[in-house]
Amino acid sequence: MTVAVSRLTHLYPGTTLGISDVDLALGPGELVAVIGASGCGKSTLLRAIAGFLPAQAGTVTIAGVDVTGLPPRARNLGIVFQHYALFPHMTAWENVAYALKVRGIGRADRRRRAADMLALVGLADFADALPPRLSGGQQQRIALARALVFEPAALLLDEPLSALDAALRGGMRDEIRRLQQAHGISTLHVTHDQEEALSMADRVAVMDKGRLVQVAPPRELYDHPATAAIAAFVGHANLWPGRVAGDGRVATAFATLATTTRGHADGAAVTVLVRPERIFPGPPPDGVNGLEGRVVRDRFLGAVRRFDLDVAGTLVLGETSDRRTIAAVHIPPDGIQLIPAERRP
Amino acid sequence: MLLALGAPGAIVLVGFFLVPLAVVAAEAFGGDGRAFARVLGDPVFWRGLIGSLMLAATAATVSLAVGAAVALHLSRLGERTRLMLQFLIALPLTFSGLIVAYGFILAFGRAGFVTMLLAEVGVDPAAFAGFIYGPAGLAFAYAYYLVPRVVMLLLPVLVNFDQAQIAAAESLGAPRWRALADVLVPQVLPTALSAWCLVAAVAFGAYGTALALVGTQVNILPLLLYSKISEGGSDFPAAAALSLVLMAACTLVMAAAEAFAASRETSGH
Repeated sequence: MTVAVSRLTHLYPGTTLGISDVDLALGPGELVAVIGASGCGKSTLLRAIAGFLPAQAGTVTIAGVDVTGLPPRARNLGIVFQHYALFPHMTAWENVAYALKVRGIGRADRRRRAADMLALVGLADFADALPPRLSGGQQQRIALARALVFEPAALLLDEPLSALDAALRGGMRDEIRRLQQAHGISTLHVTHDQEEALSMADRVAVMDKGRLVQVAPPRELYDHPATAAIAAFVGHANLWPGRVAGDGRVATAFATLATTTRGHADGAAVTVLVRPERIFPGPPPDGVNGLEGRVVRDRFLGAVRRFDLDVAGTLVLGETSDRRTIAAVHIPPDGIQLIPAERRP
Repeated sequence: MLLALGAPGAIVLVGFFLVPLAVVAAEAFGGDGRAFARVLGDPVFWRGLIGSLMLAATAATVSLAVGAAVALHLSRLGERTRLMLQFLIALPLTFSGLIVAYGFILAFGRAGFVTMLLAEVGVDPAAFAGFIYGPAGLAFAYAYYLVPRVVMLLLPVLVNFDQAQIAAAESLGAPRWRALADVLVPQVLPTALSAWCLVAAVAFGAYGTALALVGTQVNILPLLLYSKISEGGSDFPAAAALSLVLMAACTLVMAAAEAFAASRETSGH
């Protein structure tokens, strides 16, 4: 494993905030995104791995070496900061070459390597520009080039896209992923944007109250969240309290639905999870899991439309590209996930 | 409307600055510039110029060193505490030079409170007071009201400095001292040099504190000028010429300050 933390703990003095007993390992070339609500500890995890915060317990291993007590400069990690933290008095190439300068590499060599790196991020023509004169996207690319030029053991990205306009963000996601894969570098990407995490990462780690609650590939995390809280945090979700009512049936406040109940005892309390895109307008073709109701809120979002259907007092959130009037919906049995109610935090 | 708003300022500028300046210039350049020749040919002038330059440089350097440390500390405090301390630090700016001098005499004079305390641990009061009433003591007194000026100039730069840059430099392999030297110092230096020039210019031209503290014992240009226009003085053209020299020196130093400040602007901050 390129980067591994074991039982890593750092609590801010006098509080219960921070991270506790975190275990996480990044494989070679793997991009792991860490997501969670504000204050969940994701940035603390990154700062503890980087060496900016001391580990009160546990270990940090980078490329097989225990670096737990070492300062940031000795960890050989490339870091992209939230607001880039570029040096405003240095030109783009000087920023990129700074790590090489610190390592005692000669000016001509560092200039050449910085130029190569700037070309790789599409900024070959901006080598002599000062960062404040560049756009947010260009600054972001310089920050990436600066973090990669010295061939670090791994890359840490601290909300790297949060300071960019929404229009730029999509392109930068692809750009970061392209560079990360081109370098085959293990990357820990901290973000509050779940869409960013799902679209970029090989695996997504969800944090809550300083602990890792689930680490899984994006599809698995989305389709099989471990808890109702994770289901609610990752994407939109219908979450209804229910009870297993015999084999293949789950009873909710507004209907009894057919689905697989394997792994859940008869009568067990569960949370019923249905993603909005698994709610289909119209009556069911096979008569299974049909619901009738009245649309009480309808949001046009361009490609899709998100609606709230009132079904016997319960709101059913659906998403469709169908623009016709909706008075009934149906849910395919495989669109329903059951989450044990006791695992709900 | 604009004219009406600008009129009071214009009247003050013309009446209390430009007219007296013109009178002084006319006095100095009258008589084919012989006043300048007298001033420049007088060894007392050159000793005064050297004394003033040394005093200004010493006071500015001490003030910058102390002020930079204070500003660095303030920049790391919470906003509330910082604002309160800023207010306290700015207080000396409201005192006249005479009050500062009087306070120094009470504290550090031959029978001063601090002098007497130091005498208890074996420091000779006469020697200590000699220090206070000399050029070094004068620089020390000047620092009292120059330090707040340095703090006020440096603090915004330090408060607005993004500490993540230091973290970035460290993550790129730099030890803490190098991160500070490569990243913080170059960004603060133009303002620090500008502050040095500004307080040096103030120290170069100040005379109230000097007069009250050392009389005319220390040879500096403002006191030389004072001696030329006080009761015993009679060479007004020479005093006018000296005034212009003093003003030119201060303007030059201030121009250097502006140049340093401008270099900071053009480097993209």
